[in-house]
Amino acid sequence: MSGFVLKRVLQAAFVLLVVTLFVSYAVRLTGDPAIMLAQGAGSVTEQDLANIRKGLGLDQPFLVQYGAFLRGLLHGDFGKSFMGGTPVAQLIGDALPATLSLAGLSLLLSVLVSVPLGIQAAIHQGKGTDQFIRIISLVGLSFPNFWLAIMLVLLLSITFPLLPPSGWDGPLSLVMPALTMAIILSATNVRLVRTAMLETLSAQYIMVARAKGLSERIVLYKHALRNCAIPLITYIGLQFGNLIGGIVVVEKVFNWPGLGTLAFDAISGRDYPVLQGTVTVLSLIIVLVNLLVDMAYGLVDPRIRSK
Amino acid sequence: MKLKALLASGTIALACLAAPASHAAGTLTVALHQDPGNWDPVATFLVSWGAVGSQIFDGLIMRTPDMKLVPGLATKWEFLDKNTKIRFTLRQGVKFHDGEPFDADAVKFTFDRLLGDEGKKGPQQSNYTSIDKVVVVNPTTVDFIMKSPDPVLLTKLAGYGAMIVPPKYVKEKGSEYFGAHPVGTGPFKFVEYKPKISLALEKNAAYWGGSPKVDNLTYRFIAEPATQAAELQAGRVDVANQIPLAMVDTIKKDPKLAVVSMDGPVALALRYNTKRGIMQNRDVRKALTLAVDRDAIIKSVLLGQAKPIASFQGTLSFGNDPALKPLPFNPKEAMALLKKAGVKPGTQIQLDFRGPDSNFREVAQAVAGYLQAVGITVTLKPYETNVLLNDIIPNGKTGEMWQNQWGGWTFDYDNTAYAMYYTKQRWNPFDDDAKLNALLHQQRNTWDQAARKDTLQEIARYVADQSLEMPLYSLNTVYGINKRAKDLALPADGRFRFVDARVD
Repeated sequence: MSGFVLKRVLQAAFVLLVVTLFVSYAVRLTGDPAIMLAQGAGSVTEQDLANIRKGLGLDQPFLVQYGAFLRGLLHGDFGKSFMGGTPVAQLIGDALPATLSLAGLSLLLSVLVSVPLGIQAAIHQGKGTDQFIRIISLVGLSFPNFWLAIMLVLLLSITFPLLPPSGWDGPLSLVMPALTMAIILSATNVRLVRTAMLETLSAQYIMVARAKGLSERIVLYKHALRNCAIPLITYIGLQFGNLIGGIVVVEKVFNWPGLGTLAFDAISGRDYPVLQGTVTVLSLIIVLVNLLVDMAYGLVDPRIRSK
Repeated sequence: MKLKALLASGTIALACLAAPASHAAGTLTVALHQDPGNWDPVATFLVSWGAVGSQIFDGLIMRTPDMKLVPGLATKWEFLDKNTKIRFTLRQGVKFHDGEPFDADAVKFTFDRLLGDEGKKGPQQSNYTSIDKVVVVNPTTVDFIMKSPDPVLLTKLAGYGAMIVPPKYVKEKGSEYFGAHPVGTGPFKFVEYKPKISLALEKNAAYWGGSPKVDNLTYRFIAEPATQAAELQAGRVDVANQIPLAMVDTIKKDPKLAVVSMDGPVALALRYNTKRGIMQNRDVRKALTLAVDRDAIIKSVLLGQAKPIASFQGTLSFGNDPALKPLPFNPKEAMALLKKAGVKPGTQIQLDFRGPDSNFREVAQAVAGYLQAVGITVTLKPYETNVLLNDIIPNGKTGEMWQNQWGGWTFDYDNTAYAMYYTKQRWNPFDDDAKLNALLHQQRNTWDQAARKDTLQEIARYVADQSLEMPLYSLNTVYGINKRAKDLALPADGRFRFVDARVD
């Protein structure tokens, strides 16, 4: 198992290196931060812009800038925000818990909802319950996340003032963003659970289990669910990447103080260090999750370890 | 209705848990669209800095909400030695928030810093380069020695980079610390700053201009206008500085809320690429300007929250000439001019604009519609804003027309006109007109405001006569407010000063 882990860790490190290189290069194609900083500064001259660029180290060749970024990374230093000079590590440190709690809760909510619903749909395949669940999940799939977010705000903050519409004001602030994400996630998860369960239920060992006279509960939750865990874990692992992508939009609408908002503002402000830092951390999270997923296979199914 | 009642009653307990919705007594909460990230006056030029800076800091001169210049930390100023020296008499007995006294040394320190290496790092310096140096005469008197006349200087001293900073504090703590923990002489004192989330201030009871009426002032950074509107509707912010135009009516209808709208500093124009194709012909440019009904666009797309303009400035701008009227909507004359110029119906031109600006996208579509009606086919080309500003415009790579939007914080046409029309300026990739250059130079090198006004008006008339652009409109400054907040004295330039504000 340790060889397997080492190989995966090396792969992960390589992926991160490629991502940072690509992101650092790409952000520099998006435009000049100097003009953003000089915004509104009357008749700003080329000399002023050059001074600002020099102050930010942008007069250096790209590889030199990238090298400095990498050297900083090795020391845990993400550099400073162009906008105001706050250390990027501090900004990320403040934002990370907000994003992780949102992502974690959304995922949890969606699993709690979608697994039982998916199983019910599978058991009642073709019947009314199945149809109903499939229609509901189709409706859920069709919502764009920002639209859903705005509708929730209108309903739960304005029409019925129950929840704060944005920002962080204690645990209640988590409800709407997590709900938005969870609804979107559950829509696909339900269908996935249903399909996986249907496949498993048609397997011979399930028939054997039933023939042995085991209760339907035990058959479903002990035998069947464990066997369709692999595709589910894979999918949820992959989904984490999408989840993070969706979080950028949802965080923005709810003004949620997380990495998504940070990244979004960094893009619009051409704040290279902040964007490099957030994307690096987000990719690190995605890579880590995938690593964990791979290892989880090993735990669930010993055959994978030996491959 | 039953469901609504049930939901409402069944969840009152929950609503109580969500109690941060209610305000602490004496706290005014303001939503800002952006966190400038640094509270050091030399560091940035963003409007969102100005919205906070005037609460924490004072300039030598100040501006009232209706943009009049009044004494600030200087009680009077006089021009000496043939206008090469400005002598400021300073207010006595003023202290910075940390107890450090305000005096002539603080003024000198502020400007040495702004004009020196520290200032070089930010965009502020370029606005003050007409100052050669600041000389201390005695603790309550300083002289500004001028390199060249700068007729907009007094206005500039009322804001942004020219805010007076505490020498001892800045020297001891360093600029980085100062940027995150600002200290000034203003009506509010710094309490806590959470980057990207909020800034908390409290009243400076010892403020020389009288203690503010509210105890606390909180800024929340909310970028999304729709979210600002939702926070306003939920009663959790008292002032929202950006609300979507489409929400204005909804907010007006809410008995607890109000919309405050006034003439603002932001003007928009479609500039013409005078080097390209049919646009080289002045008659063609004039025809395009005549062909578009800007009043109708303002009414239908901008829901009335803008004013038509005849030159690239708003009504509050120094140099604005009320006698200069926008060209009327006259498609017949436009077609005649185009015919005379030999422009064939169906001729294609391209309009470059800021794609992410959904309001302007509709404006651009309307303009294209009007031009289509006189036989010109417009291809709309949306760019990501920064690409348009950095790559397309300064390098002269635009289509026949391009969107230009300008904020003019000094409310002086010089600021705009110089950047737009002087040869080889960043925002003037196409025009090279000796007459314009001479006029621009002339108004910049005199302290005589009456003469300047004449020159600026002449510039505006000349630009209109040459049809260098299609002036569109100046945007209103629109705030959403909660009526529980009183005496807000909201300024057109977004630079709040809540000294007299109260909250019920």
